[in-house]
Amino acid sequence: MKIVAQHAEQVHDEDDSISLCSMFAGNESFGIDTGKIREVLGKRELQKVPMAPAFVAGVVPYRGDVLTAVSFRALIGLPDSSEAGCVLVLEDDNGQERFGLMVDSVGGVVTVNSRMLEANPCTLDSRCKWLFDGAYKMQSGLMVQLDPQKLRPSRLAETGMFRQGTSGEIA
Amino acid sequence: MERCLTELESRPEDSAQLVGEIFRAVHTIKGTTGFLGFSRLEKLAHAGEHLLGSLREGRLAVTEDLISGLLRLLDGLRAILALIEATGGEGTRASDEDSGLIAELAELNGEASDEEHAPVSEVAPIAIMKVAEGAATPEPSAAAAQPLVSAGQAVANGDKTLRIDVDVLNRMMNLVGELVLTRNQMLQSGVEATNFPELARRMQPVGNLFGKFPRMVRDLARTCGRDVRIEFFGQETGLDKSLLEAIKDPLTHAVRNSVDHGIEPPADRVLAGKSAEGCVTLKAFHQGGSVVIEVSDDGGGISTDRVLAKAIERGLITSDQAAEMSEREALQLIFLPGFSTAAAVTTVSGRGVGMDVVRANIEKVGGSVELESKVGIGTTLRLRVPLTLAIVPALVVRSGGQSFALPQTTLVELVYVPARDAAQAVERVGAAEVYRLRGRLLPMVWLDRLLGLKNSADSHGFYMAVLEAEGCRYGLVVDDLLAPEEIVVKPLSSVLREIGLFSGATVLGNGTLALILDIAATAARAGVKPVVEEEEQQQVAEVGPSNEESFLVFEDKARERTALPLGVVERIESVPLSQVEYANGRALLQYRGELLPLRDDGRVLDEMESDKSHSEEAAATVLICGDAGAESVQRIGIVVRRVLDVSTGTLLEKDADIGGAKLAMVKDRLTTIFNGFGTAMARGWRDVA
Repeated sequence: MKIVAQHAEQVHDEDDSISLCSMFAGNESFGIDTGKIREVLGKRELQKVPMAPAFVAGVVPYRGDVLTAVSFRALIGLPDSSEAGCVLVLEDDNGQERFGLMVDSVGGVVTVNSRMLEANPCTLDSRCKWLFDGAYKMQSGLMVQLDPQKLRPSRLAETGMFRQGTSGEIA
Repeated sequence: MERCLTELESRPEDSAQLVGEIFRAVHTIKGTTGFLGFSRLEKLAHAGEHLLGSLREGRLAVTEDLISGLLRLLDGLRAILALIEATGGEGTRASDEDSGLIAELAELNGEASDEEHAPVSEVAPIAIMKVAEGAATPEPSAAAAQPLVSAGQAVANGDKTLRIDVDVLNRMMNLVGELVLTRNQMLQSGVEATNFPELARRMQPVGNLFGKFPRMVRDLARTCGRDVRIEFFGQETGLDKSLLEAIKDPLTHAVRNSVDHGIEPPADRVLAGKSAEGCVTLKAFHQGGSVVIEVSDDGGGISTDRVLAKAIERGLITSDQAAEMSEREALQLIFLPGFSTAAAVTTVSGRGVGMDVVRANIEKVGGSVELESKVGIGTTLRLRVPLTLAIVPALVVRSGGQSFALPQTTLVELVYVPARDAAQAVERVGAAEVYRLRGRLLPMVWLDRLLGLKNSADSHGFYMAVLEAEGCRYGLVVDDLLAPEEIVVKPLSSVLREIGLFSGATVLGNGTLALILDIAATAARAGVKPVVEEEEQQQVAEVGPSNEESFLVFEDKARERTALPLGVVERIESVPLSQVEYANGRALLQYRGELLPLRDDGRVLDEMESDKSHSEEAAATVLICGDAGAESVQRIGIVVRRVLDVSTGTLLEKDADIGGAKLAMVKDRLTTIFNGFGTAMARGWRDVA
């Protein structure tokens, strides 16, 4: 009850409240600022790209462009799911790069207070530590906040952290 | 403007109207420049107006000099405008030049009548436009509008252009691309679809490009002392803007060539029974998904003999090669770097940089160049360029459960290998697989293996697309062929571009995506892969022994077979015995102005001489042989009984040499190799061996 009360309080605080779009991969839930999401495409069969880095789920047509979709499962080290994933279209801050993010499913929009963000636990492995902004304590469990900037395919390629990944599945 | 003037020159009968238009334009310029305070411009425009006035009143006749003067005036005005644009002022230093020009105009004017005005008309509107654009004064825009209108009227096919922001254009391109995809989808669902005027926004009429040629040809013709008229057909043919830009230089080059090399001087033309005035024709039309631009002239044509002689002289080919070349092949030599048949280097052309650049530029945008020429009738150069770079015809194939698009331009042919033949059709050289395609071994690249895709069951056999890119030719094995489609090329993100195998992606008619395979990169990748690398090496090894020398097999001594490498035999001549002359006990033959020593190892001549009684016209068969490797071609003639065959054979090992004679196995029969070509020949032999 206490948490709910806190929550209601925060909604009034315009400066600190942010709305996150919740999404799921494996058993965990994640959130991305709704302002950074252009569109949720829903379940899509992606065209795989042979020889691509492991974190690339494939390409997807979107409004006349061909977007590169990042497989979130591959990023956090989960095996590929047998079902088609949900694709979100994200955009970087200045609108230069558009890309897709494939997760298992997309939930709803939740409003949280950004001051409630808890830092990553120090025992988290380095990849995830880099990827995650931190976690919110929700009623249903924890929701990890993601930064779309770090999910850009070019950025992921630059870091080199996800090169090796699970690329074995192709060969 | 230029067009107006050149038109004026060619059609003096319409002069009243044309001059009127020009005069009005110049007058407007003059008024506007005066108003804006560009006195230098005004002065020049005034001089021009004066001259044009005389012209309009009929006191002056349209002459070449007059038009030249007017064109120079135009150039002068342009120069001032450029200055205004750059500095905001019209400059005072260069004013001397103006006075020269003005004096010239006045002189032109005075020649025929007392003194009047003339040619400036075209220049002025342009000047005003530039002032409006570049100079600081905001007022001129209103004034500029007026001359623009009159200029638009003056120029017969005035450009109807619209400025569009590149971003807007790109967005439009995207949308149009979607339209094409939608059309493809409709086509697949069997709905009759009308052709979209797709990408029409990017299309520009080639007439825009042709517009500058009348003046260029005119100036060029005067420089070269030719009399040339230029004609256009199909100016409205649309071409992608970027392609238009790309063919500009090659086309200019081609037109120059036509005027300078193609069209003969008037006197020669009259002697050849043609009208003194040569004609260069520019023709543009659509043909099968590409735009063809023909540059033809009715000049002297290209003599293949001269081309060959020149090519040999410049060391581009050997005389042996020349002898074997067809007319068509010989003409292609013109495209080799460093080639020019022009007798003299002129300021215009003849330096040997030219046609190779033309071809390189056209090929860069995916086009091709053809040349046709008939001596005495003329030459036609055909530039073929794709409609646009953004849409390419492609063949969609499937491999490992995915679709890939292969650009049609790289596709040579398709081979289907049914499952029951697959075992025999695929031959192995070491670990590598090759396919025997019409006697040539073609390395096979399995797309699914190359890309690490799942190997699908080939129960139905496989298809092989024979591809050629950047000189590599290989067979790409795929599971299935889908329909050829016009695809809209979409760029890939940088991460995927780095893979280096795909040049883009496209959405197919059925809504799925296909990656566009970069054929050249795939070839390179196939060569880098360890497995395929072995294949390549084996391939080379395979080529080695199979690259046997071709021999001409003949009989000289009775019952013996002798052979010569085919490369050294230039011609086989039948020579009447009466032409064989003797000097110092040696037989000689006068052959094309050369004295050929004849070798007669088999005493054929003596035999024939004694048989002479039987037939008067006995003729000996003489092989004309030349050693192309030597600096000056040393030819000899070899008298033989008869020529037997052309065949491939292998030289026997060194220890098979018997008494200095080399032996070879040709078609499993022992054959002596003719040796008597001196040291140069010996070198040639070593190469063969």
